[in-house]
Amino acid sequence: MLQLTATPASALADDPVHIRVTGLPPFQVVTLKASLKDEKGNLFQSKAFYKANGAGQVDLEQTPALGGDYVGVHPMGLFWSLKPEKAFQRLLKQDVMHSPFWVTLDLYDSICFHDSPTVQPWASQMVQRWFSGPGVQRKQIREGRVRGALFLPPGEGPFPGVIDLFGGFGNLIEFRASLLATRGFAVLALAYVAYEDLPDKLLEVDLEYFEEAANLLLAHPKIQKPGIGVISLSKGAEIALAMACYLKQVVATICINGFNAVSNVPLRYRDLVVTPIRSGGERMQVHISGAVCYRHCHGDPRDQLNRQSVLPVENAQGWILFIVGEDDECINSKAYAEQAMDQLQSHGRSCGRILVYPGAGHLIEPPYAPLCFASWVRGFSWPFLWGGVPAAHAAAEEHAWGEIQKFFRQHLIQTRCKL
Amino acid sequence: MIQLTATPVTALVDEPVHIRATGLTPFQVVSLQASLKDEKGNMFYSRAYYRANEIGEVDLEHDSSLGGDYVGRHPMGLIWSLKPENLLTRLMKKDVMNSPFQVHLKLYDSDVLLDNKPTTALKASLTLERWYVAPGVTRILVQEGRLRGALFLPPGEGRFPGVIDLFGAVGGLIEFRASLLASHGFASLALAYYGYEDLPPRLEIIDLEYFEEAVNFLLRHPKVCGPGIGVVSICKGAEIGLSMAAHLKQITATVLINGPTFTVGIPQVYRGHIYQPAPFSAQLVTINSLGLVELNHLFEETGAEASQSFFPIEKAQGHFLFIVGEEDKNINSKRNAALAIEQLRRNGKNNWTLLSYPGAGHLIEPPYSPLCLASGIRTICSAFHWGGEVIPHAAAQEHAWKEIQKFLRKHLIPTATSKL
Repeated sequence: MLQLTATPASALADDPVHIRVTGLPPFQVVTLKASLKDEKGNLFQSKAFYKANGAGQVDLEQTPALGGDYVGVHPMGLFWSLKPEKAFQRLLKQDVMHSPFWVTLDLYDSICFHDSPTVQPWASQMVQRWFSGPGVQRKQIREGRVRGALFLPPGEGPFPGVIDLFGGFGNLIEFRASLLATRGFAVLALAYVAYEDLPDKLLEVDLEYFEEAANLLLAHPKIQKPGIGVISLSKGAEIALAMACYLKQVVATICINGFNAVSNVPLRYRDLVVTPIRSGGERMQVHISGAVCYRHCHGDPRDQLNRQSVLPVENAQGWILFIVGEDDECINSKAYAEQAMDQLQSHGRSCGRILVYPGAGHLIEPPYAPLCFASWVRGFSWPFLWGGVPAAHAAAEEHAWGEIQKFFRQHLIQTRCKL
Repeated sequence: MIQLTATPVTALVDEPVHIRATGLTPFQVVSLQASLKDEKGNMFYSRAYYRANEIGEVDLEHDSSLGGDYVGRHPMGLIWSLKPENLLTRLMKKDVMNSPFQVHLKLYDSDVLLDNKPTTALKASLTLERWYVAPGVTRILVQEGRLRGALFLPPGEGRFPGVIDLFGAVGGLIEFRASLLASHGFASLALAYYGYEDLPPRLEIIDLEYFEEAVNFLLRHPKVCGPGIGVVSICKGAEIGLSMAAHLKQITATVLINGPTFTVGIPQVYRGHIYQPAPFSAQLVTINSLGLVELNHLFEETGAEASQSFFPIEKAQGHFLFIVGEEDKNINSKRNAALAIEQLRRNGKNNWTLLSYPGAGHLIEPPYSPLCLASGIRTICSAFHWGGEVIPHAAAQEHAWKEIQKFLRKHLIPTATSKL
């Protein structure tokens, strides 16, 4: 009897799903398709072609895909190779608390390339992908200047506190914070531009705003003292590195694909003003898809003229983990992370660590999300090229997510043990 | 005073243009942008950033672009790096006789931040005319017997070497390469074979006698000199071209661009002999990260059992020019050419030349054509990945076009000595 199973049918978005087909004719070539509609109704789809074994089975944990959106053994391939119907759309969950993404898995009994309304799948299975677990609470934050959303794990706590920072294009991205909260951390998804009453454009980075956020976390009864962590991407990673340098409240910082110097807009902290390295827009390069690669635009922090913009990482009191995608087309992140590591070492500091992922692009996110190779960015009329080679990027995300949680457990929970 | 010049302003599409700007501030960065609207209203854009020298000049023949759609010294870069607003759009001129493509060149002060559009005013602009036909070339609609196409004749008296021009599974009548060949002295027949007028709307079988009719039509024409006819063909057209060379002794020069070595998809028939399409493994279709469909692995598992799909090319009387884009994602062009050459060698023939271009994709077209990375073929697929990297593809097109003309002249124009 033909059966398509996907277990667990309801899970967190960063948990793998085991997909199997049994009861097929021996050596039958089949098509497995996945489809998902985001909250705006945008369709994402993927497909792969498999050949059943002599016992009529396909097991995505063992059977290689022969063609389609990916090739080889990739148990979660149907998820991370999901592609938008409209080019350059990024899959981003808005409501992380009350609804999952629904992924439909369809099995066809042959090579089914086109989507035909008349061809019915042999079997179908729905899978739910949640961004928060039972008992996780979300609280909208509007205290002082601070704007964001705080996610608390279930239970009394206290929990290690983490600030979650995304890139500089505005809005509030919550899905990573909600997933980390489900893994036992109290996470503040912190907005800093173009959200609620925050400035619409980032004209400077005021580190005191981020210090307010750190203090707000530390004042919370369910959050451990005396130090917090920061997880960050892109412009957020540059800000997080600055926080690590200047704020003693920050004891564990994860910087994903960021700059090691102040870029584009000045950084201010109390009396200190750090002038930025300016970027040369004329060095942008247009990819064949029409998306723009900005990797070559940024100034070189090693240039003597730029030395005042380089962040003084040797002053950081806590631990720093740099996560870098070698195929990052937005920022030459490997070079910047290596420079920061060199700087630490030349000052005799051993609190830095770097993870370099070949084939990974700019948007290294929690695992199993579709690879976003390029996407529209608020305020720009052309898409940004993020880069990344699909299977390698997916593997990087899986590995990095484990390392991220290990890093925070190691360096945040330890502080409690010291009491 | 800021000036933007281009010489010549009016030219054939395969002729280079010398673009220069003068009167700028020394060492200032400027942005040069090109735009084109095709006959359907689709927009194509390109841009490049240059730094003026110490006397305030930018000369695209000497200077390197700092960024934009290309980097480095590429005098024609603004033209061949034009990109469509919608990725899946192919630039193809329909009316080759009566109008050129207009390319608008604009010069801006570059105040490009990581933002969006240039924030300063236009400093200079001009419009280029890019023609697909030289003055004096005539076009004759062909509707003889079953034949449907357009014959382009070079200007002047006398007879010209004849060439049949075949495109791929895109169908219809595509004239722009034939009109250019005529502008270079060849009597060129752009031949449709499906999806045009009363020809079959869908490709179900290739009847080689249709193409034999075309060969005979050309040889009969008062302005065509024989005794041999050439074929310039791409993709599915190259499959047909290969078969024509194998079966029709009048074919003395065959240019095959990124074609298969065997029947693909549908059968071919010639005087009762049927070539069945070679078996393929549909599950080997891949989709790249942009969602574009790649067919270049389809025949990876096809081996000796496909022998009834291969043409007897060792019987060909003429010469072959195989042109291969090594980054072709639609056909494993490199492997196909190797198979064909191996077949010729096995039979003691050496009547072939191979031009293999690293970085070039499937759609190798006349020079300065923008790289079409992907486009759809109606009723078949909406997003085929053709492959190719912009800069090496442009270089390949420039080189291949000259080689194609040299090859055709060598094998179609009887030299004085050969008559002795």
